[in-house]
Amino acid sequence: MLPDVYIAVALAEIGLAAPLLLRLALGPSICDRVVALNAISTQATLTLLCFAAFAQRTIYLDVGLWLSSFSYLGTLVWARYLERGLL
Amino acid sequence: MTAALVIAAAAVGFVFSLSGVVGILRMPDVYCRIQCSSKTVTMGALPVLLALVIGEGPFSVYGSRALLVCGLLAVVNPAASHALARAAYRIGIPMWHGAVEDQPKEQWLAERE
Repeated sequence: MLPDVYIAVALAEIGLAAPLLLRLALGPSICDRVVALNAISTQATLTLLCFAAFAQRTIYLDVGLWLSSFSYLGTLVWARYLERGLL
Repeated sequence: MTAALVIAAAAVGFVFSLSGVVGILRMPDVYCRIQCSSKTVTMGALPVLLALVIGEGPFSVYGSRALLVCGLLAVVNPAASHALARAAYRIGIPMWHGAVEDQPKEQWLAERE
């Protein structure tokens, strides 16, 4: 019962991340693209965690943890770069 | 009972994620999109992780990692959204033409003088 719920949630989150690629492709400014990328990486983290619980593989948990922390680091770096330049 | 709670939490997370995705696709300017994006994380991602915690137990391998990601998202996402919105305002991305108020502009001009 529960593994079916987990794989359904994982597939649903992937399905939600797919339309965001449209915003990533045609966002008018670069901030729109960063917002879309941020949301996509959050959905990818959720997908990885739910898939790890479905497949009983603990290695995906570490992948999701690192993905979430480094995607936010990337957003912060983009914001700082846009605001103050490269250095 | 546990399965019902898991399904309910996952459904709440899915509905809010769906509304956030529609908002990111349909909102008119970048500031509204940032607001929708942060709502996606707060009400869309945390219930799904909560469902994982309920289903697997908070002290199992999966539940403890889900709690860790939960805390990480709750702390870092508002900071990232704030930094991104500030950067978008500072580099002069225009607001939607129907926007009625620009309070930071007056504050910014007052700081400059």
